Amino acid sequence: MEQIERLTCSDAVRQFFAYLDGALAGGSLEALEEHLEACLNCCQKLDFSRKLDAFVKDRLGEEPLPEGIEERIRRRIEDDGKREG
Amino acid sequence: MPEIEVEARRRFEELTLPHLKSLYRFASRLTGNRGAAEDLVQETFLKALDSFPTLRDPARSKAWLFQILSRLAIDRHRGEARAVTVEVAEDLDRFSLYDLIWEEDPLPYSERLHDDFLAQFRDGEVRAALSALPEAYLAPLTLLYAEGMTYRELAEVLDLPMGTVMSRLHRGRKILERELWEYAKRRGLVKTWNK
Repeated sequence: MEQIERLTCSDAVRQFFAYLDGALAGGSLEALEEHLEACLNCCQKLDFSRKLDAFVKDRLGEEPLPEGIEERIRRRIEDDGKREG
Repeated sequence: MPEIEVEARRRFEELTLPHLKSLYRFASRLTGNRGAAEDLVQETFLKALDSFPTLRDPARSKAWLFQILSRLAIDRHRGEARAVTVEVAEDLDRFSLYDLIWEEDPLPYSERLHDDFLAQFRDGEVRAALSALPEAYLAPLTLLYAEGMTYRELAEVLDLPMGTVMSRLHRGRKILERELWEYAKRRGLVKTWNK
């Protein structure tokens, strides 16, 4: 069986975002999950990172399209075609 | 215009225009200005039209458009300074908003200190803190938050190795944490006792 590398708290914290983004796999993921099982402080920090991510996403909001933008783009595409044609 | 070109143009519009809203949202976050965002988006469509014959896989059209927009944005803003300074990686790595809130106890009567700290920010303040990030961090974070792109998609769109994507997303969030703290101090949202 493959030996899981033990992480320090600062190693674990450095991987939080990749973990939250679903980008950790294999040994790195197992090592982090093992650390989290034993470290309440890191669990709390991870929970805060998760909340902070959700908080920022939530506040980005929608960006309404400027009125008529699609029409202006279509026109430029058409003009571009005429120029080349 | 020959029939074949009309057909190609129709096909181009059919593949690309459904992504207009996402592209505009991204451009708007990058430029922080609606007029500049529209210019950037229009330029993206024209550039895409020129290189449309090179798009082999139509399923990749969204990533391809974002890639064109990112390259144009980088070219346009090369050398422009952003409001935020970026210190050496080690200093940034040590910064922890969670620890700072805990140590400084900016809301002494709160029982949910970290949640209450975040709850004080208005939407526009969070957007301003994000917009102040250098483009190298702003672009991947925006694509992650607003478009839900994976690390692999980000690497493709931003022409970066996966490791660089990972470190930029990490550092970008650290800078954002620091900006939120500084913003809170400037706005008097928190009282700091030790500093």
